[in-house]
Parts: sequence; C-alpha cells; structure tokens
Amino acid sequence: MKKFHIGILLAFAIALALVACGGSGGAATEAAAQPFRVAIVSPSASNDLAFSQSMFDAVKAIQAEEGEANFEVAITDNTFVVEDAAAAIRDYASQGYDLVIAHGSQYGGSLQEIAPDFPETAFAWGTAGDTFGLDNVYAYEAASDEGGYVMGVMAGALTQSNTIGVVGPIEVGDAKLYVDGFVLGVAAQNPDASVNVNYIGSFSDVALASEAAQAQQAAGADMMTGTAQMVVGAIGVANENGILWFGTQANQTSLAPDIVVASQVYHWEVILREIISNVRAGKLGGESYKIGLANGGEVIEFNDGYALPADVLTLGNETIDGIKNGTITYTLP
Amino acid sequence: MGLSDLFSASVLIGIATSGIRLATSYLYAAIGETFSQRSGVLNLGVDGIMLLGAFGSYYVVLTTGSQGLALAAALLIGMILGLFMAFVSVTLKAEQGISGIGLYLFGFGMSDLLYQKLVGTPRPIAGFPKLPIPLLSDIPVIGPILFQHNLLTYGAFLLVPVAAFILNKTTLGLQIRAVGQNPEAADSLGISVTRIRYMTVIAGSTLAGIAGASLSIALLNIFQQNLTNGQGFIAVALVYFGAWRPTGVLAGALLYGLIAALVLAGNTLGLIPRSVSDIAAMMPAIITILALVVTVSRVREPAALTKPYGRGE
Amino acid sequence: MSPNPADTLPRKSIEHLEMRGIVKRFPGVLANNHVNFDVRSGEVHTLLGENGAGKSTLMKILYGLYQQDQGDILINGERVSIQSPSDAIKLGIGMIHQHFMLVPTLTVAENVALGLRSSREPLMDLERVSARIHELSEIYGLRVNPDAYVWQLAVGEQQRVEIIKTLYRDVSLLILDEPTAVLTPQEVDQLFGTLRQMTADGHSLIFISHKLHEVLAISDRITVLRDGSLVGSIPTGEATRENLAQMMVGREVVYSRPIQAVEVGEPRLVLRDVSAISDRETKALSNINLEIRGGQILGIAGVSGNGQRELAQVISGLRPLTSGSILLDDQNIAGWGVKSLRDAGLAFIPEERMRDGAIKDFTVAENLILQEHDVEPYSHGIFLDFRAIAERCQELIASFNIKTPSQETTLKSLSGGNIQKLIMARELARNPNVLVASQPTRGVDIGATEYIHQRILEQRQLGTATLLISEDLDEILALSDEIAVMYEGEIVGIVRRGDATVEELGLMMAGVRPQPQAESA
Repeated sequence: MKKFHIGILLAFAIALALVACGGSGGAATEAAAQPFRVAIVSPSASNDLAFSQSMFDAVKAIQAEEGEANFEVAITDNTFVVEDAAAAIRDYASQGYDLVIAHGSQYGGSLQEIAPDFPETAFAWGTAGDTFGLDNVYAYEAASDEGGYVMGVMAGALTQSNTIGVVGPIEVGDAKLYVDGFVLGVAAQNPDASVNVNYIGSFSDVALASEAAQAQQAAGADMMTGTAQMVVGAIGVANENGILWFGTQANQTSLAPDIVVASQVYHWEVILREIISNVRAGKLGGESYKIGLANGGEVIEFNDGYALPADVLTLGNETIDGIKNGTITYTLP
Repeated sequence: MGLSDLFSASVLIGIATSGIRLATSYLYAAIGETFSQRSGVLNLGVDGIMLLGAFGSYYVVLTTGSQGLALAAALLIGMILGLFMAFVSVTLKAEQGISGIGLYLFGFGMSDLLYQKLVGTPRPIAGFPKLPIPLLSDIPVIGPILFQHNLLTYGAFLLVPVAAFILNKTTLGLQIRAVGQNPEAADSLGISVTRIRYMTVIAGSTLAGIAGASLSIALLNIFQQNLTNGQGFIAVALVYFGAWRPTGVLAGALLYGLIAALVLAGNTLGLIPRSVSDIAAMMPAIITILALVVTVSRVREPAALTKPYGRGE
Repeated sequence: MSPNPADTLPRKSIEHLEMRGIVKRFPGVLANNHVNFDVRSGEVHTLLGENGAGKSTLMKILYGLYQQDQGDILINGERVSIQSPSDAIKLGIGMIHQHFMLVPTLTVAENVALGLRSSREPLMDLERVSARIHELSEIYGLRVNPDAYVWQLAVGEQQRVEIIKTLYRDVSLLILDEPTAVLTPQEVDQLFGTLRQMTADGHSLIFISHKLHEVLAISDRITVLRDGSLVGSIPTGEATRENLAQMMVGREVVYSRPIQAVEVGEPRLVLRDVSAISDRETKALSNINLEIRGGQILGIAGVSGNGQRELAQVISGLRPLTSGSILLDDQNIAGWGVKSLRDAGLAFIPEERMRDGAIKDFTVAENLILQEHDVEPYSHGIFLDFRAIAERCQELIASFNIKTPSQETTLKSLSGGNIQKLIMARELARNPNVLVASQPTRGVDIGATEYIHQRILEQRQLGTATLLISEDLDEILALSDEIAVMYEGEIVGIVRRGDATVEELGLMMAGVRPQPQAESA
C-alpha cells in the first residue's frame, strides 16, 4: 500500500504544481474603483494564431481603448475538456465578473445549466446562434463563409492545376461555414477546379494535419486552405512545397511569409463593444450577434510579402465589396 | 475524383510515404517502451517525455539554428526524465501506472508552460532537411517511399533491427529479458535488477525524447501545445500490439501509419463520404485496438511487468 | 568423452565452510539464534527442521540474500563477507531454491548463461554454452536439451537445469533447498546419483529436506534446527526417523498410525468419463472414471502436471468439463457453481492455498468466515455480527490448533502449516459429504502434517468420501484406501493400498500400465 501512496502523492504534487503554473497565466490587472470585468474561457491556447487568439485579441483591443484600470480581463485557456471549462465558467460567474465569454461551441450545454444560476451575470457564447431563450446569454458567431467565399474566388483564379486542397478539423460550426463558403467561392470563379475537402477528425493533431496536406499535394493541389489550430502542420507542408495558402481566424502570414496570400481575420470587438454597452445598460443577454465583412467584424488582410497579381487583388476586393453591398449572394449547403 | 485515383501510382506512393513518416515518432517511442517493459517497467509517461523532448529540441533550433544541438537536447531531456521515472518506479517502488501518469502530466504542463513563456505563438523553424539517399532514392516507387526522408525517419527504422539484435543476441538483452520475466532468478545469479531497470527506463525515455524531437524538428518543424496529441499512449499500446518484440512494434507502427495515411487519402479524394469521415478518422486507432484484442496473446507479456522488485518480498 | 579433471574439479575449492554464531532478527522474530553450522568438502550435510525453524534464513545468509546481524562465515578458516548472491557465486557457493530460479521464456542454455560474461561480449555465445552443458550432462548424468525452452520442461528436468547452472559456474558448495519435493521416486534416485557423483568430485552439499528417509539415505551428517536455534548435529549413522523427528518437533511423533477399519458406505463421489482441457487448450483429462464411497479415501498419485490440478478443478467447479458427468450423492454436479457445490456438501482444499484457498491480506477471522460471512448467525441482513464471528473463530482456532497471535493477524504472517490448518478448519467445520484435498501438506512442517493427516482420517471415520491428490507418495500410501495413478490426463491404474510396491507405483507414474490383476480394484 505504501508504494501506491508514493505514486498518488507524486501525481497529486505534480498536478498541483501545474495548476499553480496555469493559474499564473490569468492576467488580472489591478482593480480600480469599478472596472468592467471580463473573463474568457477558451478551448485552445490564447495565442494559437487561430480561434482562441481571435477573441483574446478582441478583448485586448477593447482593454487598450478603455484603459487597464477600467477594464479587467481574466483568461482560462486550453480547457479542451468541457468539464474543466464548465468549472472555470462557474468560478468566474461566482466571482462577480460582469461578462463571462464561453468561447467554444462545445461549451453550450454547460452554459445552459450554469447561466440560470447566475441571473446577475452576463454570458456570451460562441460560436453559436442560440441563446437558449435565456435573458442573460448572448450568442455570437462569425459569418466565416463570407471570408471563405472571397478566399475561394481568389484561389479559383490563381490555381494552375485546377486542384485545391482543404484541411479541416471536424465538420461543425465555424470550420464548416468557412469551408462551405470557400468551396462555393471556387465554384463561382472557376467551375473546372475541384476542391478536395479533408476533415481529419481532430482540432489538435498537428502531425495528421501535416500528412493531410501531403495527401493534398500528392493529389495535385497548388492552393490550400484550412481552419482550426492544427493547421500549422498543414501550413508547414504548403510552405515546403510552394503551395499557396489562404488563412483564416487570424493573420497566418508569420507562419509562412512566402506563400500566405491573405488571411481572414476576426474582429470580435465590433460586436463585443455592443454587448458590453448593453451589459452596462443593464441588458444582460437574449440576443444573437454575427460578425461579417459588412460590419467590419471580418477583415481580409492581404500579405504584402506575396506578390499577388493585380487582377486577382482587384477580383478579391470586388468580391469583398459585392458581399458587403449584397450584390454577391450564395446559398450555403 | 473516383476510386481509380486511389490506385494511381503517385497516390499509392504518397500513401506509403505518408505511412512511413507517420510511423517515425511511434517507432522511437514504442521501441523505447519495449526496452522498458521487457525489463518489467511500464512507463506511461512516454507522451509527457515526448512533449518535453519536442519542445526542448524545437527551442534549441529556434535559438541556435542547430539541429544537432537540438537532438542532443532531446536526448538529455529524455535521459533526465528517465532517471526520474526510474528513481520513482524502481528505487521508490511507486505504483508504475500512477507515476507514469504523473510524469505525463508534468511533461504536458511543463512543455506548454515553457512554450507560452519562451515562444508564445507558433513559429516555424528549419528542422532536419530531407536527405535523399544517392542512387537508392532514384529507384522507381521504392526510392520515393523509402529513401527520401529526413535523418530521424531513417534512424527510427534502423532502430528496429538494432533493438531486436540487442534484445535477442547480446548478454545485456538476455539480462533484460530475464529481469522482466523473473527478477528473483536474475538476482539469484548476481544480476542487479535495479541497474538493468534503470538502464532500460533511461534508454526508453531517451528514445521517447527523440520521438518528440522527430515531430518538432524533423517532420512538422513547429511546436504547439500538446503537439504529440497522445501519440505516447498509442506507442504504449503498440508495444502490446507488437507482443514486446521490435519487429512486432514495427508492424504495428506501420499498420497504424498506413491506415491513417489511407484514410487521409480517401478523404482527400472524396472516396469516403463526408458523413462518415469523422468516424473514418478514428479508424487507425479502432483497427489497431481491434487487432490488439484479436491477435495479442499475453503469453509473451513480461511476467514481472509493473511489479517492483525487492529482495525477499 | 573423458572428463578433463580441470573441468570437473571446482577451481575455487571450499575445503571447509563454517558459519559461526549466526544471529538474524526480523521484526518480532529471532530467526537465527547463535547458530553454528559447518560443511566439509565431499560431504552431504543435511539441515533439518520444521517450517519456520530458521533453515531458509540461515541458507539465505550464506547465499548473500540476507545479511546476518551477528556471527561470521569462514571459508577454509578465513572470514568472508557475502553481501549479495554475486559475492556467493564468486566464492563458489551455489544454491538451488525450492522455487526454481529459472526464466520460463528463455531456453536452457540462456538460463545457464544468464549473468555470466560471454566469451564474445557483448554478444552471447550460446553454442559454447550448449557444448559445455552437453559435457556436464554426460559427466553427471543430467539429461537436458540446451535448446529447449524452460516452460516446456517437466519439473524434474527443470531441476536438472538448476544443477547444471551451478556446475557451470564451478561452484564447490551447493545448497539444495527441498530438492526432492517435486520428484518421482525414480527421479529422486537419479538425483541422489548425481549428488553422490558431485561429492565424489569434492563438492560440498547442504541438503534441506523434511523427508526423513531421504535425509537418512543421502546425508553424512544431520543438523537439526528448531525455533531458530541449533538442537544438535549428529552423524547419519546415529540417526533414526524417530530421534530426528523428536529433535525437530521437540516431542515424540507417532509415525505408523494404524488405519482403522471403517464401514464403507454408498458411492458419494462418482466420475463418469470426465474429460476437460487445460489452460493451454490441450487435453488435460480424458475419460476419467472414479468412484469414492463414504468412509473411503482415494489417493491420486502422479508426477505433477499430469492432470491432477485439472481433476481437482473440475470437481470443485473451477473448470468446465468437455464431457462426462460427476455425481455427488447421485446428483449430477457437472457445471455447478462453487456456491451450490458447497451447499451440496463439497469441501475443497486447494493446491495453491495462498491463491485459491485464502486471502493473504485478510485477517485470520475474515478468512475463517469467508464462505459463511453472508449467512446467519454471522450476519443479519447486510450487517456482519462481529461478536458471533469472534466466538466462532475462537472455537475454530482452538479446535484446529491454529497458532496465531490473534484473530486480527493478517493471514500472510502465519506459517504455511497454520494457513493450511485454517483452511481445513473452514472447510471441515461444515461436516462435508465429500472432501477434495489437493496437496494438503505441501510445504507444511512435520507437526502440522501429522495434524492434517489426523483430521483427514477423522473425516473418513465420519463417513466422508475423500479424494486426496498428492505428489508425495508417502502421504498417499499413509492415508489412502485405494490409489489411482494419473499419467497424461488418464488413470493408468487403480490399486488397493498394500497391493503395490513403491517401485510399481513409480512405474505407473511414468505411464507404464500395471498387469491386469493389479487393475481390478
């Protein structure tokens, strides 16, 4: 029995040490008189150059506008285990945060249980379109298909091999919207091009994403895109083989400056500002928000380091404008 | 795209090459674990060691640009963690499953913490380049499949015969096998069970460190939180699958890698309906586990596996 | 080939080994209390004593597995320090443990070579090892195949491998811990031949046994230990079974208990064409037919691994039959669960008493009520009645003479004999109709053996039908009314006690069918 205890103790000691380490990541600033307090719970790292970072950057942007003394931010990231996330959400709510952002569609079920217990706290949940009919829950989502469509149009124009590869995680939510938009964009621009969509079944398996990109290359792709945090593996392969890459969720130019054509970047601050002012005014939820190209929540950032042919750049900009003013429409599957 | 595309030469070559690349990190980790288990120590911390080896070597390349130094760092990290694991499970005789999980949690958390503090966002590096072997790499079909890889992939496959040779043909291998089957008998013949187990656990952990490096500085050339995505645990399963023999482990790693590559190719070519692609993505694990259940006879399992040894206990 | 003297004579010759004033304490136990012991080149010196007398401790000290708290070990008059088995091996001391120190998944040659420097370091040199094994086999009459895996070998062969291991290491002093426990009479004769050859070559042998006739046959001197202390040391010429037993136990032991005639009743346990397969899915039992009447003891003799274990298991419900039937008091019990069998009046004393018979981390009391813990008066509903349990256990401990510090002592700190008495107490207290006793006295000391035999005979008086499975032929001969010999899963023959000599039984144990007149039992 003694041996067993040593093992248990060790495991606990290490786990505790890690919890302590993890805790230090939460960037709680000095409390001023009555700062607005926001907490974010997200499934991957807050600097993943993808989904989690997009929200983190938005909140930081608002904090920069309002000043650290008036706007407090706390982060719990890497909570890919939903139970851990639920515990963190409940914690922040009971600590009296003004707005708790559950940044992951998988957290919906937990939030539905937690939100009614804290009627004084506002929750935001995304990406999703459903507030569960609760008046202290906001839902937010990105029309990522819009950016996807623009990328698809440009890829369709640029491809020589008429074969385009997509490396996706699991066919749900934001990823599905983006990929569907992309496929429609390619089809609209270049009906001869075929798009090979490969959902690898994981948001985190970098090695598999890398091999999926290899498979795309073997199938003849000269343009690639992909979404979720494991795509760093695919971008590496694209870079190695000179395949052009279209990014989303964050500006991915730094990962492969030579081959990234453009990235769709989310600016959640557009809708966060509205949510925050609602909360300040006493309205704690009950509405759904969507970012898109039109409201400035989605921005296509071109890579200056890549010499995009002028006609394609023009085509891209025209597509963006067309979506914004409603002259370009499409039907998602 | 249709079924015929799957059977085109370039796609088939692509699948085989991909399977071999995917097998690389599993091979290092599982061969290392084979040594450990053959001497009677179950090291469940492989994935944690891989993560720290992956981060350590990645960080050395990022700061110095030297892949050689980076590999040395992975070796050193593996050794130190192996020494720790051996101390806990051999000297302190802790329950091996739990201490292994502890080591995993440590490696997982520490690699992420260091990554966040020292690196931040994903930054690609220049890892081990592809090293086509002259002449051999020009052979049609075989060349691209076998002889156009990076140094660490070659190393992983060379490791298999070396490990089999050590286990089956050397006096050290004999001692390892004896200690894993009947430590009391080995002790009665003057073999230090402790010494042998320290050796195998440290060697196994060192290989786990290289397994991590093979991901971060040879195959993917990047680091991200939880880069291994649980590969270390699959590696432990592959040791059982391979019935504690390096050749069996090789078969398991290749099977796993090839099925994964086949599913990827099938998905890419649209041969697998989108509605089942998520399930298809789990096929490597499912098939490997099924094969494990069907084929493994635990007859070959080291009889003293997970059992600490103390004289007269 | 003619043996080269340099190969046969030990290089590191131990002319005289002396252990002087050895003291070894374990928590709460004085295992060796100022013990003196010595052995000279060319002699067999037997160390005799009951379990727990301190023989094994003394020998483990000599082999470096334990360190003495006081006392010296001298070789040829020089003090030596033995910190580990490798020190002992270097000094020329070898040991054959009661549980063989072999690695089953390795070959004979690999087992022999294990731990030795090879001539082709770091590679193994198994061809050379095999050649040397062949030489040693010839010289000492130890037939083994160097390329066979140890798991394929019968127990007798495994023992030969153990002896070769020590000869290969040029030991000059060899400790043999209960080496005959697992052998047929013929194999014992072979072993003794080898041992005599070894002493003729100048080896010293320390022989540990409790089978007195073997001790008397092979030893030059006999030293008796009791409760950790030296009782005495006598030349074999002056020893008799009676005085040795008295030295060991500290009182007179009755050996030849006349078996009382009892009235034989109806058949209580009948096996008809019973077949079963082993764990390795080979045929373990084929068409076994047995009949035991009330008041009768049927002994199953045979070398271990010939189906005895499986026979006990099919009767006690631990292994399914592939065909045939088993009748207990005319009810077919084939396929019944363990609990229903117990309710039908079957008592079972398993071979692996620590694995199948009791739970070593449980207390004496918990083990005693293991089967009855869920019935009145020991429990009411879901609650145990500790008072009733304590009373019942006190009674059993007293009536079965179980030596334990308390009811709350964990089982693992009891001696083998007392554990067996505890299992007997639990099984017999329910007045069974049929008793299956498998190796009831293996590893049990003389005092407890005598007691266990007495209880089995008492059951016979009470009209119980007893199946006694034992590899100890003396035990079978002492207790059984009839003896069935098993070989490779079949009954070779059934004889009445007194109708067959030890030699005839030995031949049957080797698979030779008896003449027809002996078979009609």
